[in-house]
Amino acid sequence: MIPAARPRLPALAAALALLLLALPFAGLAIATDWRHFGFAQGDGGAVAVSLGLSLVALLLIVVLGTPLAWWLARHRVRGQWLVDALLLLALLTPPLAMGLLLATMYGPYGPAGQLLERAGLLLTNSAPAFVMAQFYAALPYYVLAARAAFEGVPRELEQIALTLGHSPARSFFHVSLPLARLGLAAAVALAWVRALGEFGVVLIVAYYPQGIPVKLWTNLQDVGLSAVYPLLWVFFLVALPLPLALGLAVRRRLA
Amino acid sequence: MRVDYRIERPVALSARFEVDGFTVLLGASGEGKSLLLRAIAGLVPACGEPFDGLPLQRRAVGYLPQGHALFPHLNAWQNVAFALRGPQRRAEAMAWLERVGLAELAERRPAQLSGGQQQRVALARALARKPKLLLLDEPTSALDPATRDDVLAELIAEVHAAGIPALAVSHDPALAGVADRLVLMHDRRIVQAGMPAEVHARPVSGAAARLLGLRNVQRGRLVGAPGAQRLWWPDAEAWLPVDTGLADGSEVDWQVAPESVELYEPAMAPAGTIAASVEVRQTGAHGCHLGLRCGRARLWAALPRDRTMPATACVQVPAVAIRCWPV
Repeated sequence: MIPAARPRLPALAAALALLLLALPFAGLAIATDWRHFGFAQGDGGAVAVSLGLSLVALLLIVVLGTPLAWWLARHRVRGQWLVDALLLLALLTPPLAMGLLLATMYGPYGPAGQLLERAGLLLTNSAPAFVMAQFYAALPYYVLAARAAFEGVPRELEQIALTLGHSPARSFFHVSLPLARLGLAAAVALAWVRALGEFGVVLIVAYYPQGIPVKLWTNLQDVGLSAVYPLLWVFFLVALPLPLALGLAVRRRLA
Repeated sequence: MRVDYRIERPVALSARFEVDGFTVLLGASGEGKSLLLRAIAGLVPACGEPFDGLPLQRRAVGYLPQGHALFPHLNAWQNVAFALRGPQRRAEAMAWLERVGLAELAERRPAQLSGGQQQRVALARALARKPKLLLLDEPTSALDPATRDDVLAELIAEVHAAGIPALAVSHDPALAGVADRLVLMHDRRIVQAGMPAEVHARPVSGAAARLLGLRNVQRGRLVGAPGAQRLWWPDAEAWLPVDTGLADGSEVDWQVAPESVELYEPAMAPAGTIAASVEVRQTGAHGCHLGLRCGRARLWAALPRDRTMPATACVQVPAVAIRCWPV
């Protein structure tokens, strides 16, 4: 029997692509000085700032983004394209540009910034400013992913829940939410990574308090590459387990 | 229960008929039958009785859509309990499952149940809602042909036992056969309603005859006054003997039962027969039918058990066997 000819070229190209993907991570493992593994001054504070404030941002994103995602998944209104365009605009705006836009609106001389400052809320170089930067950076990603998750829930099941005497709210919590849970979890994971890793927007409106990304930058500037590795490991450890697990779970579900 | 509904969108439709026991609304695909059910359930804006103006959560209907729409994240008893409230909901759900003979499968998810079992869970869930009217959308469409009749018999027995009027919409003539009351819909309106035996005996039009699954419904034109009439069958370019009270020149739908079509060997055919070729043979438990090509038309004829299948044949349609409806 003649063995089926295996296409060699695509297999080689795929192997090369995988190798290229793996190289930077291997580089980190090799470059880290494990014997003298130690944090720079202020690294602990940066981790605390990043984790604490990212959680607050994530909470805000989920609370405000979920109803919007559901509404977008379930309703068609005149001028819908404007809403879609706005979401895409927020998604596609480069982080630095978004930071500048936020500074313009919420900065000390911005119209919203002045109003909020009078109310005692300072949105420059403050914890609320940090949360705001992460909120703007991650919200569009969350909304688009959560919308796709809700769109995957058969509308008929929500309607059946209504015909069985349930209110729309009960139908949402007992049917839509559980059936969209995997997609919503992926959306949360995506928002978490985006918020935690956000650098450009944060740099402009909240250089202080310093979270992990800005601290990595200052360590690099002040000391050099070797000073970023310990914090980089922490970043991977806190940012990636949730999205990785969910990504693999989704792949398994699709398989 | 009287159903009287008018729908404006997405298509204009109005329907008024009685639902009594297990009532089947028979209509072709695209007539808006499912739309009517959804309107009664309150899922589509419409006005009419029963339930006029009530929000859909307060309409006492048990709605079973096509495919049953069980909640995939809940097991069988949880699906039934979804329609129930209070601390006893699990026990009540189990009682409903017991009633449809599925108590032992209570812990199974919908994906682990057969089509017939899913339908019974959906029925138990709909009944648990304590509806005043059951609405079933194409209840035979998701069933395996081998077990369909048994599943259907159980479904109807359960509907009768529950004592709730049920409206099933379908395009399946087999379902019409088991109805307590039959309603026919054509061109988005009700064209006939009554007991199944009456409706089958006297369909009001060719469209109604087609809906009932009658074969050989053809278009034609009557030529000549009553008493000396012939039927022009344009698709076969043939004349047929006919005896009706309809006026000369009437366009008609006409029908002949396959059992009444007479088959002859071409060499022995009497004058006035129509030449036909055999396209298909359909052999079933109840005998053999031949699909004959007559010009552009297809005519079905029953092949007597003692006859062998011919390659070509000549057919004759007796005047007394032809039913005509003006169009």
